[in-house]
Amino acid sequence: MSSSRTETVVDVTMPQMGVSVAEGTVAAWRVEVGDRIAADETICEISTDKIDTEVPAPVSGVVTEILVPVETTVEVGTVLARIAADGSAATEAPANGDAPDAEAPAAPESAAAPAPSTTPVAPPAAAPSNGARRYSPVVQRIAAEHGIDLGQVPGTGRGGRVRKQDVLAFIESGAPAEAPLHIESPYRPEPPPAPAVAAAPMAVPAAGSGQLSRMRRRIGEHMKRSLETAATCTTWIEVDMSRVEAARKRLGVTALAFVARATIDALREHPALNAWLEGEKYTQHAGVNLGVAVSLGDDGLIVPVIHNAHELSPEGLAIRIRDLATRARARQLTPDEVRDGTFTITNPGQYGSIMATPIINQPQVAILDFEAVIKRPVVVTDADGNDSIAIRPITILGLSWDHRALDGALSAQFLATVKRHLEGVVAA
Amino acid sequence: MSTLTYLQAISSALRDELRSDERVLVMGEDIGVFGGAFKVTAGFIDEFGPDRVMDTPLAESGIIGTAIGAAVVGMRPVCEMQFSDFISCGFDQLVNVAGKMYYRQGLAVPITVRLPSGGGFSGGPFHSQNPEAWFMHAPGIKVVAPSTAEDAKGLLHSAIHDPNPVCFMEHKHLYRRVKGEVPDGVFETPFTARVARPGSDMVVITYGAMVHTALEATEDLDGASVEVLDLRSLVPLDEDAILDSVERCSKVVIVDEANSTCAAGAQVAALIAERGFESLDGPVVRVATPDVPIPFSPPLEQAVLPSIDRVREACRELLAY
Repeated sequence: MSSSRTETVVDVTMPQMGVSVAEGTVAAWRVEVGDRIAADETICEISTDKIDTEVPAPVSGVVTEILVPVETTVEVGTVLARIAADGSAATEAPANGDAPDAEAPAAPESAAAPAPSTTPVAPPAAAPSNGARRYSPVVQRIAAEHGIDLGQVPGTGRGGRVRKQDVLAFIESGAPAEAPLHIESPYRPEPPPAPAVAAAPMAVPAAGSGQLSRMRRRIGEHMKRSLETAATCTTWIEVDMSRVEAARKRLGVTALAFVARATIDALREHPALNAWLEGEKYTQHAGVNLGVAVSLGDDGLIVPVIHNAHELSPEGLAIRIRDLATRARARQLTPDEVRDGTFTITNPGQYGSIMATPIINQPQVAILDFEAVIKRPVVVTDADGNDSIAIRPITILGLSWDHRALDGALSAQFLATVKRHLEGVVAA
Repeated sequence: MSTLTYLQAISSALRDELRSDERVLVMGEDIGVFGGAFKVTAGFIDEFGPDRVMDTPLAESGIIGTAIGAAVVGMRPVCEMQFSDFISCGFDQLVNVAGKMYYRQGLAVPITVRLPSGGGFSGGPFHSQNPEAWFMHAPGIKVVAPSTAEDAKGLLHSAIHDPNPVCFMEHKHLYRRVKGEVPDGVFETPFTARVARPGSDMVVITYGAMVHTALEATEDLDGASVEVLDLRSLVPLDEDAILDSVERCSKVVIVDEANSTCAAGAQVAALIAERGFESLDGPVVRVATPDVPIPFSPPLEQAVLPSIDRVREACRELLAY
């Protein structure tokens, strides 16, 4: 009987995850041979030296073979598994006459998969789509102009589609109220951009067992190695953010974008900090590839890189930061987007913390920490030299630097330069 | 101001031109003694004589060719095609000779070709077409298509004054159905689009008789605010007006009475895709006559031409998108 089936078997291959990546490692299988899987559902997790990602099933069907075991590294294009596509084996089964019960057990099993959990919130009319929301050009443009997370906008169009009037109504309702400064960071909590992310907690199934995730292990290795390698010192400076605050409100961008721009300007004035130190080899870079640390919640942290960041304005940087942060959380970064950073900014200001001693992202020679901006009473001096006390938004920038590559005077000069640029931002 | 039908407005424009400019002459099949198939030039021969109101042989190539020669030596001829469908016999003269004369020899060809067009009266495949897109595709020719009595007169004046060959698409269905206040005397209507009804939720872009179909179809669409943009001129196409409407409304329905493929509305859709993409909140929807000849049979003809119901349904669908 089964020998007479005409099955369509589809290969699942190791995907190309960036131009410079030639191989990947299977981190975990989500299915076993014999399991049913729907198209676009995750069949396995893979990792490269830089990032983890998921491989979606190319078709709906039954997994017939798993060819590459966990922790095995194979070249891009290698067949990882095979799926007998629906319409062949699967549709053949009910034709076995009175054997519908034989099919039934498959359903409860697959019900345990995470994907169906997203369907109850979707309006019934949206059923034909695969769950991912798509937005029209005008809706995306308005959302970008107003910094709106479209995931939070209720849709009234067909199948719950977000229409132009929905996003306009959302703006008018004042829902995306200007966030307080101290949560202005790429860490701003965003609902997952796609249902697929809801499945992410699966990546840490062993929270209770004491087994660290791959990402945590790797972060730990990097951090430990950095501390063992570099002679890390940290220097702080206070910055008056009044003008940044005014400018960012006018442009609708985050304070981080201005800090990034000021950092880039300071790196151009002090290129010694825009460098790598690998053993005894010290390399200064002409352009700035700016890394910005992005929290992935419980999973860990990743540092996507804005290549040629020196070519971007604060607005351009804001767009790139937002894009990279969003895609980082959606696990959509390519390995090329997390490599070749020349300097890193970290910005965990969400909870109001004011200072930290960040660890240098090797092989870079320094890292800038931007925490909360807090209104403080400060002494200001007017043109006639009279002192008075004023309320000003103040932040403390921290620079961890490698004493092997530079000395304290330069790090202080660098911070002073960043401060000068931030306090000199043209507000109007 | 006078209250005139669309047809009377065309007659009025011709009469005013013949009276005010001795270079103007009209020519066509049976337009003199008989007064024209639709009586646009009724009585003209008595007032202006057979030298300026010329009955011609049944030869469109000859009519347009003669007009080109007259225009080159300084006249302002207005040719009537009895039905726009017949222009195909004069295609070479219009497209290859008139349209390229200025490019090749630097000679202006200020002719106006009146094209009674459109269906809806069981005229069948040879008397119901909307051939404007043929000429949109040929550089050197302007194409205008009024929908109201005022624009019929104003655009005809503008066409006659224009130094280029102009195809004046006059819709037969509107001849006696559309009536309105029309300024007296000679006035010009610019070759730009007109907002027939302002709106903000969606724009219906169209021209000619379909302007009225669009207005009626969207008169009461569940409270939606629907703009209707009357293109009036197809060459030049008022791109700024189109993109402005698209930017404000974000949803677009384009209605052509012409056969769908490569119709004027297809050009509008292409423009929006190229330059209005960032403003769109839904697919650009087109309603047009399918690519079939216009049937004689009244029910079949009504089935192929864009009806009020079809336009309304398309608008409803897009509004709900």
